[in-house]
Amino acid sequence: MSALLALRLVTYLLVGTGVAALYGAALIGPVGAGLVALAILVGWGHEQARARGAVRPALGYCLVGTAAVAITVDLFYLAYSLLDGMVHLLLFLILLRLFVRRGLRDLRDAALLSFFMLVAAASISFSLSFLAVFVVFLVLGTWMLILNHVVTELEQAGREGAAGSSTRRVFFRGPLTRVSLVAAAITFALAGGLFFIIPRVGQAALPLRAQLGRMVTGFSDRVDLGSFGDIESDQSVVMRVYLTDERVEPATLPELRWRGVAFDQFDGSAWSSVGATRRYVRRGAAGDFGIGLPRGTGPVLRQEIFLEPMGTDAVFGAPRMLRLELQSPTLVVDDMGGLSTSSATARLHYVVESELEEPTRPAALPARPGLPVAERARYLQLPELSPEIARLAREATAGTRDPETAARRISEFLSTTYRYTLALRRETTRPPLEEFLFVRRSGNCEYFAAAMAVMLRSEGIPSRVVAGFQQGEWNPYGRYFMVRLSDAHSWVEAYIDGRGWVAFDPSPRGEVASVAPGSVSLYLDAARMRWYRYVINWSLGDQVHLAASVHRQATDVRVGLSWPRHWRVSPAVLAAGGAVVVLALAWLFGRRGFATGGAKATASVPAFYQRALRLLARRGLSPGAAETARQFAARVGVTAPERAEPFARLTRHYERARFGATALSETEWQDVTLALDTLAATR
Amino acid sequence: MKLLRAAIWRLFHPRRTIKPTRDGWWCLFVAVGLGVAAINTGNNLLYLLVSALLALIVVSGILSEQAMRGLALTGITPEEVYAGRPALLGATLANRKRWLTSYSVTLELLAPEARALESGSRFIYFRRIEAGTDRLATWEETLPRRGRRSLAGVRITTRFPFGLFMKAGRPALTGEVLVFPAVRPVPPESLGRLGDAGDSAARRRGRGNDLYNLRAYRPGDDPRFIHWRSSAKTEALMVREHEADTSHDSRLVLVGRGRAGTEALESGLSEAASLAVALIRAGAGVELAGPDLFVPLGHGRPHLRRVLTALALYEPAAPGSATAAPVDGEPSVGPRRLREIRVPLA
Repeated sequence: MSALLALRLVTYLLVGTGVAALYGAALIGPVGAGLVALAILVGWGHEQARARGAVRPALGYCLVGTAAVAITVDLFYLAYSLLDGMVHLLLFLILLRLFVRRGLRDLRDAALLSFFMLVAAASISFSLSFLAVFVVFLVLGTWMLILNHVVTELEQAGREGAAGSSTRRVFFRGPLTRVSLVAAAITFALAGGLFFIIPRVGQAALPLRAQLGRMVTGFSDRVDLGSFGDIESDQSVVMRVYLTDERVEPATLPELRWRGVAFDQFDGSAWSSVGATRRYVRRGAAGDFGIGLPRGTGPVLRQEIFLEPMGTDAVFGAPRMLRLELQSPTLVVDDMGGLSTSSATARLHYVVESELEEPTRPAALPARPGLPVAERARYLQLPELSPEIARLAREATAGTRDPETAARRISEFLSTTYRYTLALRRETTRPPLEEFLFVRRSGNCEYFAAAMAVMLRSEGIPSRVVAGFQQGEWNPYGRYFMVRLSDAHSWVEAYIDGRGWVAFDPSPRGEVASVAPGSVSLYLDAARMRWYRYVINWSLGDQVHLAASVHRQATDVRVGLSWPRHWRVSPAVLAAGGAVVVLALAWLFGRRGFATGGAKATASVPAFYQRALRLLARRGLSPGAAETARQFAARVGVTAPERAEPFARLTRHYERARFGATALSETEWQDVTLALDTLAATR
Repeated sequence: MKLLRAAIWRLFHPRRTIKPTRDGWWCLFVAVGLGVAAINTGNNLLYLLVSALLALIVVSGILSEQAMRGLALTGITPEEVYAGRPALLGATLANRKRWLTSYSVTLELLAPEARALESGSRFIYFRRIEAGTDRLATWEETLPRRGRRSLAGVRITTRFPFGLFMKAGRPALTGEVLVFPAVRPVPPESLGRLGDAGDSAARRRGRGNDLYNLRAYRPGDDPRFIHWRSSAKTEALMVREHEADTSHDSRLVLVGRGRAGTEALESGLSEAASLAVALIRAGAGVELAGPDLFVPLGHGRPHLRRVLTALALYEPAAPGSATAAPVDGEPSVGPRRLREIRVPLA
């Protein structure tokens, strides 16, 4: 394949990779990507046709003019955002270069412009697919740059009429390809190293606000019981919860849930949090948000959470959250323990510490104060409901004396008497909750939670509905919980005097069969998790942690290599060892010399001169200790005249080879061989 | 201390120089711009792209160093260089590395008058030089003026692998070369008409048409010169030897001091050089005399070099200086009268 054709092919592939990056970042849709791919193919064919002279330039200019007008209109009026407009303009410029290509420079410009497609994708992409695109782009990019360099030099050499440029072909299995692959591999490795050590000192003064990619929908900050139909079980992973403490075993945390939003107001068909009081919490001196104080109810669990954008501003974590590390200037905390941030549409990465609550309360703990009257009234608020619900609650709690037992009874009653289903059918015209409790007797978690909260309130026990996520699946390859959208869940918190808010989950969700993910799926998700963890969310804190870790390990190695104190070595042995090392170094450098580079022909005695000396030594002629090569040659001339002439030639070549600025030429080597043969043959 | 001195010297006299090309400047500009964007946005993927660009620059440096390392440039200069006539210069580029091939190496022939500006340079491109091999490059260079002239030099450069930076070695072939005056052809027949005959005419072997001698054939003799009749008589191959066309030993006398103008001086020196070349090639002896200049009578190619060297280095002396001092201290021919050819220097 000719070098120019290879360059064209690689450039087109590079542009294609850039388009793939834009598609992966959702900057262009499937239709747009298809159109651009088609345009690239047409550009390739157009170039072939133009080479045959089958294309009229006027037609090309008309098309380019039309496209330029369209792009201008798009940039100012049609594009969804400035970034979208710039991407369209970029695509136009690249296609323009490919269509009206006149020389190598246009081809190179198209390739270099395609790099900016990667930049545009990088500004909003978080996907692991970006890594694949990046690697392909790196390989193709280095190959393109090398080819472009070679073709440009060949063209220039052709204009100069210089020798040495006769061949203009490249082979994909040829040495240049290998050089390119090695260059790409080294570049990738170096880029990785640089990526991790470049200080993340950015203050994000002007963060790029762009549209995000696909947003996962399904989680709502309102529990609405009025919806009917089949609820789709979306398997998208929306949250990954990494447990930083490796001693924690997931099996010991069966009741773990990720709390999000709490609702206190019920209007008969929906739960909402209209009455909540919100306050802003500022970041502390340590760079974190203090949310609560530990009460000693259980162990503290540290979680590192990667949250996909879901259209909610809620911050999830295991209850009860004590401390939060989040890259946000402020945090909103409501009076029901719900957290939210202003970056509602952003992908969140945060660390939260929670104090878990043991099922059995330690006796030594001080009693929690009761709720104020106003608060109590708030959590006992009920709309006008059927008296059947209150009667059902009384029946379920019959014989109980304390609120906690009553709450457990209601929870058990609901979970054992009612059935969990995702298929919600409207069978009567009664209000949704009544239909669930008395007619359909099946529903999803929202119905169970809503029913329990209403029944508790009817019994005078303050309660609220909480929305969040269930624990999710444990991924052993990355030590984290994979929480899917289908894990969205609602449960109830009841205020028990003396204990405070206690969680109850009346939903019998175990009835719904779930398919366990396969190993490959777990591996892929672990890779995705690492991508988020170590690339997307790599921060200054991680760098400090890494530096500390390296320092610690270096110290460990140093300690490991240190001289054991119980080994006693005499100074004489140490001195002898040191002398051996010094002598070895002296021998090494004395033999090889410090001279490097091509200017020194050779630093040691050439082999041919050594052989000549051996030949003379057999005749009893050896150079003296203080005799130079020329002096020895002169002595040979006197004592053995028959060997004088060849040895004089050899001496001359020896001086040239050892002390001259250049290596011996082919002719000189031939003369060396001849002189050696003559010297050996002389008797 | 010695090492420190060497390090300081190396700092100010680097073995190689490196300069970004136009694409290289763009690469640096984009890297800086992306770096600012990455710092400003805190976007790690932008950091990744910046890292890739920086790594590309580092790899470019490594591979270009690999291409340059172990290359030895040996210049080849011609023995005789005449002003205004293209001289064939050459250089051997040897790859002394044991294993690694050097790719995309260029010999840059620096422009004679503007070496510092590196403008007007010519290039000889080598796509690859395998380990342990060498390549010969030759080119023509015309030096316009006689005298000791510095060659512009040649240096190894490479933009390998990405064309982002140009790495260049130290210039070689920058030594001085002696440029003889321009030599024009002189028709053999016109040599006989020059000056007076003198009394030193002598028959010599040469390339003329007249018969000089017959002798036995020796291997290497031109078969066209075999004298068949004599060969038949003696029953051994005999060849003709010819007499040189001009066999008059001559004295070239430079008249004047050449102060009238550079053009007239150069023209006169060129004429003298042309006559010297023609005479000596014709077998005649030549003596050169002039103001502050004297080369005694001599024959053959080494003598021609002496004459041309004297003409090449001739500088008009200041007024009142001594004239016609023998340059080698050898006595002139003395009583023997040579054919005298006067060359005006004006």
